[in-house]
Amino acid sequence: MSTEQSTDTPMVEVRNVHKRFGDLEVLKGINLTVNRGKIISIIGPSGSGKSTLLRSVNHLEVIDEGAILLDGVQVNRPDMKGLAFERHINNIRQNMGMVFQHFNLFPHLSTIDNVTLAPRKLKGMDKKTARELGMEQLERVGLAEKADVFPNWLSGGQKQRVAIARALAMKPKVMLFDEATSALDPELVEEVNRVMRSLAEEHMTMLIVTHEMSFARDVSDWALFMDGGVVVEECTPDKLFSNPDQERTRNFLQKHLGNNH
Amino acid sequence: MVFDFAPVITYFPTLLKGVGVGSLVAIAVALMSIIGGLVVAVISIYTKKVVSWPLRFFIWLFMTTPLLLQLYFLYFGLGEWILIPAIVVGILGLGFHYMAYNADIFIATIKSVSDGQYEASRSLGFGHWNTILYIIVPQAFIRSIPQLGNNMILMVKDTSVLSAIGVAELVYASQYAISVSFRPFEFFMVIALMYYVINILMELGQAWLERRTAYRR
Ligand SMILES: Nc1ncnc2c1ncn2[C@@H]1O[C@H](COP(=O)(O)OP(=O)(O)OP(=O)(O)O)[C@@H](O)[C@H]1O
Ligand SMILES: [Mg+2]
Repeated sequence: MSTEQSTDTPMVEVRNVHKRFGDLEVLKGINLTVNRGKIISIIGPSGSGKSTLLRSVNHLEVIDEGAILLDGVQVNRPDMKGLAFERHINNIRQNMGMVFQHFNLFPHLSTIDNVTLAPRKLKGMDKKTARELGMEQLERVGLAEKADVFPNWLSGGQKQRVAIARALAMKPKVMLFDEATSALDPELVEEVNRVMRSLAEEHMTMLIVTHEMSFARDVSDWALFMDGGVVVEECTPDKLFSNPDQERTRNFLQKHLGNNH
Repeated sequence: MVFDFAPVITYFPTLLKGVGVGSLVAIAVALMSIIGGLVVAVISIYTKKVVSWPLRFFIWLFMTTPLLLQLYFLYFGLGEWILIPAIVVGILGLGFHYMAYNADIFIATIKSVSDGQYEASRSLGFGHWNTILYIIVPQAFIRSIPQLGNNMILMVKDTSVLSAIGVAELVYASQYAISVSFRPFEFFMVIALMYYVINILMELGQAWLERRTAYRR
């Protein structure tokens, strides 16, 4: 799909990752590679560990075993402590955009300030340059005219598009989406999907957790089915959604296809 | 009973001076108690127990003892060792007292900012303390405005307690005038009216500020 020559080099690598919450092992040895410019979707039943996996990638969850790499740099560093690790992880996270189910826009800041806060404070960008960059990102999600409006005045779909613009403003190497459209009214889903599709066309590397089967099938280069903390099956989306090998995948799809919840 | 407001008019400049002193104290106390309360709240939530527990004890101490006792303690108690001007003691005493109450508010509102806000900020690359500074505290502050306003309105009324240690605010300023004119009722009526006006003004200000920030919550 991509025309770039470097698409066979890994951007995100997840190697044998284990994660426990107390006695409950939620990730049981996950392996996964997202190559540069590729889009991978993860589907699976509730509680299968999809969010935990995505959150582990940018270290919002601390994994117990294994390794996660971004563009060849190890994200989790059990050998590093305190401030040194904090500096390391802050740098890593500046290169990863994360989009949450509930948007998590900053309500005390206007739309444009939501988008420019990180470039200004973390990259030392001056106000004017940051505003230009911010407007560019807002245009990208079709919300330039909402620049000076506060998040509370936006619809859910608009909020999520601003959240995407906020993440894009840091020029991330990869975008992580955790059910970006599940909190939205059905009629607002498409505007967010449209933005995600346009990112796909720009060859943004993306790791997408979703309950939207048809969207996942459309947009991704590779698809994973997770259940019980393991990757049950992975293949091209066409195969996964029409002719999966595993019984568990088939059962899941039977329940969920046609009814996107 | 026949009212005679003539002495009140005669001594009105003295009363206004009292309002001036009271206002000065109130502004100093507001700044001290809001900034200090915020710092106390942040430290008591985000630092280790050895630091946060003494602070929580401080809050508890000031919230469970009477203001007048705290002022006497500072003025006469500490006065045994060092001589501090009454107005400074008054500002410190009221300041610490309301710092404790404001810290209590900030602790609740800081905790009410959702984890999602913290995570969103961290995911952009902000560090722990930068997240507190740029994301958590401003949101908590906006949420605190209604209760902070109430506290500050109570505080302004409490400046009258400082007359007990000789700070020349409104009530204290009236005492000499009353003692020579024998017209306490008239004076207290006018003073009550002055407090009432200040109160109304503050409530208007609070309502305005709340309106100005409601959509940012
Ligand atoms: N902080 C936590 N503490 C304890 N258990 C947790 C925590 N976070 C997640 N879990 C548990 O881990 C398991 C996997 O959760 P996770 O949120 O990753 O699932 P999911 O696949 O994203 O589900 P959904 O489709 O409902 O979002 C669940 O059993 C959940 O209850
Ligand atoms: Mg989830």
